[in-house]
Amino acid sequence: MSLAVAQLSARRGTRQVLTGVSFTAHRGEILGVIGPNGAGKTTLFECVAGLLPFEGTVDHDLLFYVPDAIRPWPDQTVRWTLELMARMFGTRLDETLLDDLDLVALQHATVKSLSKGEAKRLDIAIGLAAPRTVLLLDEPFDGLDLRQTRQVMEVLRRDAANGRTLVLSIHQLSDAARVCDRFLLLDHGRSVAEGTLDELTSGVGGLEEVFLALT
Amino acid sequence: MRLRDLVRKEIAELAASRAFWLLLLIVGLLTGQSFITAMNAYAEASGIGGGPAALAQGLSPLDGILTPTLGAYDLAITLLLPFVVIRLIASEKSSDALKLMLQWPASIERQIAAKVIALIAAWVVSLAPFFIALAMWRSYGGHLHAPEVLNLIAGYTLRFLLTAAIAMAAASLMSGAANAAIVVLAFTIGTWALDFIATGRGGILQTLASFTPAATLRGFERGLLRVDVVLVMLILSIFGFSLAANWLHLGRTLKARIAGTAVLLILATLATMNVLMLVRTSFDVSENRRNSFSHADENTLAHITERLTITVFLASEDPRMMDFENNVLLKLRRSMPDVSVIYPLAGRSGLFENDARYGTIEYRLGTKSAMSRSTTEEIVLDSIYELAGVRAPARAASAYPGYPLAKKPNGATLVFYALWPAALGAVILSRRSRAARSAKTA
Repeated sequence: MSLAVAQLSARRGTRQVLTGVSFTAHRGEILGVIGPNGAGKTTLFECVAGLLPFEGTVDHDLLFYVPDAIRPWPDQTVRWTLELMARMFGTRLDETLLDDLDLVALQHATVKSLSKGEAKRLDIAIGLAAPRTVLLLDEPFDGLDLRQTRQVMEVLRRDAANGRTLVLSIHQLSDAARVCDRFLLLDHGRSVAEGTLDELTSGVGGLEEVFLALT
Repeated sequence: MRLRDLVRKEIAELAASRAFWLLLLIVGLLTGQSFITAMNAYAEASGIGGGPAALAQGLSPLDGILTPTLGAYDLAITLLLPFVVIRLIASEKSSDALKLMLQWPASIERQIAAKVIALIAAWVVSLAPFFIALAMWRSYGGHLHAPEVLNLIAGYTLRFLLTAAIAMAAASLMSGAANAAIVVLAFTIGTWALDFIATGRGGILQTLASFTPAATLRGFERGLLRVDVVLVMLILSIFGFSLAANWLHLGRTLKARIAGTAVLLILATLATMNVLMLVRTSFDVSENRRNSFSHADENTLAHITERLTITVFLASEDPRMMDFENNVLLKLRRSMPDVSVIYPLAGRSGLFENDARYGTIEYRLGTKSAMSRSTTEEIVLDSIYELAGVRAPARAASAYPGYPLAKKPNGATLVFYALWPAALGAVILSRRSRAARSAKTA
């Protein structure tokens, strides 16, 4: 087990965003966190990463979380950013990352000059550059076209196969169904279901039907 | 993780910031303007136009050249530096880079320390125009007294650190760069107000006011190195940086962060109070010993152990008050073990004072007292010696020769207004072309 969350509750200001969320993620699996807008997916990730105060318990191996749609150090280049990430963890940048995520041609472009999809690929590269056994990615396919989505899924699958646990927050259910091994369904800050696609959809239909039925 | 890597990252961020390059450009121009104006005034006072030269003893490079030239940095530190510092934090907050940084295997305290080191490096770079001015002054044949130069730089460096700490704390506490800038500006205006209100009032208010950035600089500009001022400025700076680190811990509850602030505040207050109560050491590093009585007087005064109470019936803005503060009280506080000063008048100008005692100064030593209207050093000292029943020592004339220099700042306009901006432009262009070349080869 790489990540175990039990009875996690959190507030943003006076608003209760998460209530008693529990789930586990195992080594080498891809867990998809799905749920409607405002279900608490991002808050859950920030709590697990220690970036928001919470109640409950979180047990995990070394983990890293990449928020959605960030453009860190906008005046620096893509290569500088990735090398910084690797250096901060005491490693060297794995050049294949640039290749895998189509960033070679962009390596000397400044972060602020990237398009939405390019920035998203950088964000994923940032996560993969961190040598952590658990990686949380918030909306990793948002802003990517179909070809890029498939390419990133392939990269993530390969990474999980190498033993890293991936926890992905995904609002496109079709994407989630294609890449994730198991799912955690959140609604109004509560976990309403957890399991594999088969477990969740038995007797109901597809993931979309489950989503509509439970949220 | 090595601190060096963190510092490298911060230096790269500073170098990528337009605010920093703008600061360098403006500092160069301001320093040049200050230096040229100071040189011209100094040359005139030295008799360059054929007119009467001022008394040589009154011509000190500290007052005439160093202080006005470095004074340009006061403006830069007050009005420009906060934006450079705020950007270092606010940009990482708004771009969510902070969320990545908080997950690095380096504490946020360590990362703040790296930012401080990078800022100090940037400060040293920004001092280049000042060093150029010093080199030009020497090349014209001007005189420099190293302890005065170093003391002045130390004062401005402390001022820089304090402002950087305030800006960093504000950027960490506030939600946006604009809000942080307003907080820093409010702090600066607040210290100006305190400085204005507290002058010549005595008590805790005047003690507090003596630690405002403007007041602390005045001491360094006089060639006075007060250990208590250095320590208090360092304590306040460390407090500001620690406050910044405390508020950047996003994973802590609001309560925990408020508690952290309270703890830091208590520690800073206790440390400051200890310094104020226990530390009185100061060093007069001025070449003309303007902050000290003659050695003979200092020796005699040091042996008067009874408390000397001085009641000054002068308003805070009366010019005599300024003379008395700088030429007598400052030296007495440094020379005698126990001096207490009372400022009984509330008015500022003294124009509407009906008190018949206005203009007098009362000295009380044990059971004896004396009244005088003089603010002249020798007369005041004689009054104190008479009260103490000791003989006034023989006083030698000042050995300070003074350093007149009747030379125009030839070439300074070219250096500061053309070469400095051109050099900065060349550095920026070379950085850009290097980046463009890298992009092309990719």
